[in-house]
Amino acid sequence: MKKVLVVDDSLSVARQLEKIIAESGDFTCVGHAKNGAEAIKMNHTENPEIICMDMNMPGMDGLTALRSLSALDKDVKVVMVTSLGGVGDKFTEALKLGAKNVISKPFEADNVLRILREL
Amino acid sequence: MAVKFFGQYLVENNLVSRDALLKAIELQEQKNLKLGEMAVSTGYVTQADIERAHNAQMSKDMRLGDLLVEMGILTLSQLEEIVIRQKNTHLYIGEALVSIGALNSEQLRMHLDAFKQDQAQYVSERIELPAGIPDGLVWEMTADLTYKLITRVLGIQFRPGKCQSVATVDSNFMLTAMDLSGDVDARYILSVSEGIQKEIAKAILKENSVDGEPLEVLEDTVMEFINVVCGNVAAKASQMGKIMNINPPVVIHPPASGLQVPSGSAALCFPIHVGEKDKMELILFIKA
Repeated sequence: MKKVLVVDDSLSVARQLEKIIAESGDFTCVGHAKNGAEAIKMNHTENPEIICMDMNMPGMDGLTALRSLSALDKDVKVVMVTSLGGVGDKFTEALKLGAKNVISKPFEADNVLRILREL
Repeated sequence: MAVKFFGQYLVENNLVSRDALLKAIELQEQKNLKLGEMAVSTGYVTQADIERAHNAQMSKDMRLGDLLVEMGILTLSQLEEIVIRQKNTHLYIGEALVSIGALNSEQLRMHLDAFKQDQAQYVSERIELPAGIPDGLVWEMTADLTYKLITRVLGIQFRPGKCQSVATVDSNFMLTAMDLSGDVDARYILSVSEGIQKEIAKAILKENSVDGEPLEVLEDTVMEFINVVCGNVAAKASQMGKIMNINPPVVIHPPASGLQVPSGSAALCFPIHVGEKDKMELILFIKA
């Protein structure tokens, strides 16, 4: 089972993603970070293979955390899950900073799992 | 199920790879000259003129082209010629993907058709606003996209009411706000009654009942809904050539007398009629 860390300041989005991951059969959720700084700490302690991370969070935002994670850990695969996916500049910046894909909100379980399985 | 741009649609659906898209974007960045670069390439201005205009932009909130005209460096007809040349030579992402061999022309045509079909549900419909509101088309689109996402994400049946200017926002069970910045300066507010808050929570959490959920979770679902709406609004705004940044949402608990509109802002209220017992409104505070 591949280990996934969920990073989102929204409790409800974290719950949705955790449920999708738990019911997938091939992924397991190792935790929920509420901002970018927590994500960097939990990447170190939980050692996930995949991180699903929001862009727009209070404190350290998702793109800042992505920049750090890309420099600190070459193995972890980051997918941004964001309502800003359709903003071309944000999408491009995320890919340039090392994100493997960007999932737009609102999302559907099938789409999330397809993208995670393609990593 | 969201507003997307073509490159994102292709990568999300695994029709081109992430690396191919990045390569195509790099090609676009090389080929698509910015206004200043295009102006220099025509020989109408020098690099030193552009730098002078950039320095002037620090104290003047004007676009580079307009500033070059105001400073007497370009004539209006020269600026128009430069803008037309910029448009005529623009390399679109689909063309860039064909240029690097990631797609052939037939695949591009087929994927563009499918993309347009996917995005057709987000084509904006006209909504009548009071006269004199700056960036009216952006706010019409904002209201229209809010209605569309209420239907698609929340599954709530409603009838949109006539938009009107207001001086005070009526109090309600919960008001959730998100500040919008960039080319616009505004606050997006969704006002909901208790019943509507529960309907939103059920839809976001995909649960049949939310009776045992703590208030923190119920409020969070409304904040997440406006985060989704405003993110998609920002995507649509970027397609309209407007930069719109969104900030994390906040909950407002106004007094019973209502929420005063900040001075210097116009306030638009879009009533969303959802039945006898419940109340839902979209409010926009727009700085002049």
